[in-house]
Amino acid sequence: MPKVYNWQLGREVEYLYEGVKPKRQFAVIMNLNKCIACQTCTMACKTTWSSGRGQEYMLWNNVETKPNGFYPLGWDIHLMEKLEEAKVEQVWENGVYKGKTIIEAAPTGERVLGWMPEDLDWANPNIGEDETAEEVDIGTVIDHFPNPIWMFYLPRICNHCSYPACLAACPRKAIYKRQEDGIVLIDPERCEGYQECVRACPYKKPMFNQVVGISQKCIGCFPKVEQGLMPQCVTTCIGRIRLMGFINEPDKIDPENPMDFLVHVKKVALPLYPQTGMQPNVYYIPPITVPIKYLRQMFGPGADNAVETYKRMREGKEPELQALLLLFGSTEFIPHKFKVEGDFVLAFDEKGNELVKVPLTEPIIMRPATDPKLGVTRQDIS
Amino acid sequence: MKRFLMLSFLAFSISYAQDIVSKYIKGQIPPNPESNIWQKATPVKIPLSGQAIVAPMDLNPATKDITVKSLNNGKEIAFLISFKDEKPSYFRTNNTFSDAVALEVPLTPDDSTPITMGGNGKEVIILQWAAYRQNNLQNGYADLPKIEPNYYMDYWYPQAKPPYAWPKDWNNKYALDYTGGHVPYWKDTRNTSVIEFIADGYTTTTWKKHQEAKGLGIYKNGRWYVEIVRPFKVEDTINPIWGPGSKTFIDFAVWQGFYKERDSRKAISYSWIPLIIEGK
Ligand code: SF4
Ligand code: SF4
Repeated sequence: MPKVYNWQLGREVEYLYEGVKPKRQFAVIMNLNKCIACQTCTMACKTTWSSGRGQEYMLWNNVETKPNGFYPLGWDIHLMEKLEEAKVEQVWENGVYKGKTIIEAAPTGERVLGWMPEDLDWANPNIGEDETAEEVDIGTVIDHFPNPIWMFYLPRICNHCSYPACLAACPRKAIYKRQEDGIVLIDPERCEGYQECVRACPYKKPMFNQVVGISQKCIGCFPKVEQGLMPQCVTTCIGRIRLMGFINEPDKIDPENPMDFLVHVKKVALPLYPQTGMQPNVYYIPPITVPIKYLRQMFGPGADNAVETYKRMREGKEPELQALLLLFGSTEFIPHKFKVEGDFVLAFDEKGNELVKVPLTEPIIMRPATDPKLGVTRQDIS
Repeated sequence: MKRFLMLSFLAFSISYAQDIVSKYIKGQIPPNPESNIWQKATPVKIPLSGQAIVAPMDLNPATKDITVKSLNNGKEIAFLISFKDEKPSYFRTNNTFSDAVALEVPLTPDDSTPITMGGNGKEVIILQWAAYRQNNLQNGYADLPKIEPNYYMDYWYPQAKPPYAWPKDWNNKYALDYTGGHVPYWKDTRNTSVIEFIADGYTTTTWKKHQEAKGLGIYKNGRWYVEIVRPFKVEDTINPIWGPGSKTFIDFAVWQGFYKERDSRKAISYSWIPLIIEGK
C-alpha cells in the first residue's frame, strides 16, 4: 500500500492512494473555550445546505456536549472501542504516533477499520446536552480547575482530511479532494449510496440520504470559499470561536498566516483524534477546564502545551496570540495574513488588501446615567 | 415406460453451470416473471461465491446459487434470474440495504475480458435490477414519512412531491449551485428498476444516460424471480456485440441487503458462462 507523510503523527502512514497535495488546504480553527452551544452554526448550515427531503436528520455541522453528547450516538466511543478490539495501542513517543491508524488496522477484506451507525443513532443529535462528567449536587460550587465536574461543547464539521477515510473507502471513487482548496466532496453523479464512506469516516460526517439514494456531507461551503468568503458556520458563530483559512504543512510555515500561527507556531490549536491517521483539518483550541488525560486522548500529545499556552495568554503573556483571537468573528472574508500594529490587529486577503482592523481593547464610551435634555434615566450607559 | 420416465426426468432437471441458451420465441416477451412463456426456456443453475478480489468484500455471501433462464425474440433479450432470499429487503436507509441482482456481458464476445467488471480497455455492460428502485416506482419514493410513518418534524421541504426539484424562484445561490441543482436528483427520477452501467474495471461503473432496459422482480415463497429485458440494440448508445444467432458470455452478481451486501460485498459467478443466443 502506498505511504504518505502525516505530519500530525510525525511519520509515514499507509493510505490507499499516493498522496497528491492540493494547491492549498482548507482549515478551520475552533476555540473550545468559548463555544456556548447556541447551535447558530448548526442552523446556519442546515438552512443553507440540508433542508431537503432525505436530509431531515442530517446536521453537517453539529455541536455536542462532551463527554456525554454524541452525534451520531457514541461515535468517538465506538472509534476507541474499535481501536481497542484491533489491539491498537494509542501510544505516542516524542510526538510520533506508534500505534496503527484506522487504515493500517483495517481487517482483511476491508479498506478501513470502520463501523456503521444505525438509523436511531442519528436520531438524538442533542443527547447528553449540558451533562457534566460527574453529577452536580445542589449547592455545588466549582472553585478550582481541573475539577471532576466538567463538560465542554464540541462543534463538528467535516474535517476535509488530508488523507480521508471516506475517499479511500468508496468503491466507486465518487469522493474526491479538490485541488484548489483541499475540500473533500462526494460526487452526486457517481455516488451509488453504498454508505462505505459513512462506515469508514472516523468522525461520522458523511450521511446517507435515503430519498436521493446517495451519501452527502459538509461541503466546506465551497461556493463561498471560491469567492473568498468563510463558511456559513464560521461567519454566523455567535461565540466568535471560529476562523477559516488555508493551512500550510510544517515545512512551509508562514507565521503571518493565522492558521499556521495557531497550529504550527503557537501549537495552540490541535487536530481531533489525530491517531485516526486522516490528518484532519479542523483544529481545536482545547478547553482549559478539562482533565488533561481526556484532552490528550482527544487531541494528542500537544494538549498539555496548548492548554499552558492558552493559560499564559489569559495572563497577558501571549499578546500576539491574544490579538489574533480577536480576529475571530470580525470579518466574513478569509484572512490569509494577519499583523498586529500598535493597538490594532489587522487581517489581509490573498492580495494583501486589508480586510478588517480590530482594536485590541474595545473602546468604552460611558454616557451619563441621566439624559438632561429628555429628563430621563438611561438604562444603557456603556 | 421406464424409458419415458427417465426422459421426462432429464427434461425437467436443472443443468448446472453449463452454457445458457437464450431460446428464440416469436412475439412479445411480457415483463412478467410468472408468464407461461418462461416454461420454454431451460433453467441453468449457477453456483455463486463471495467476491474476494477487492476490498471491501464478503467472503460468505447469503446467495449460494441462482437459476437463470433466457429468451429472445430477435429484438429483445430477456433473463429470468431466481434465488433464495429469506429476508427480502426493499429499502435503503441508514445501514439498511436493498436486494439487487446484476448481469454482465462483455462489449465484444471475448472471454479474456476481465470478469472483474472489465478492464484494460475491454469494457462490459452491466444491467442491475434493485428492489428499492422497483419499490420507489411501485409505491412512490421512499421518503421519510413512508419509512417512518410516526416520524414528525416541523422543518420545511423545498418541494413535497417527486421529482424533488427545488422551486424555480428559490434564491439561495449557494444551494442552487450544489444541493439545489438537479444533479443529485436525476438518478432517482428514472422510470425503470433496471439500470445499465458501462465499466472498464473495478471502481469505474458509470450510469449510461440512455436507459432502456426494463425489469420486474416478484418475491414468492422465499425466492426472488427477477426478469430483466433489454433490446439487443439501443439507439444512440454503446451496445454489446450480440444478437440472434450469436454467442457471447455472461456473468452474474447478487446482493442481499439484509446481510449488508452492497457494492463489492456481493456473491458472484466466478467465470464467464457462454451465452448462446438462438436465432429464428
Ligand atoms: S471528516 Fe470524514 S467525511 Fe470529512 S474528509 Fe475526513 S474522513 Fe471524509
Ligand atoms: S455558533 Fe459558535 S458558539 Fe454557537 S454553537 Fe456554533 S460554534 Fe458554538
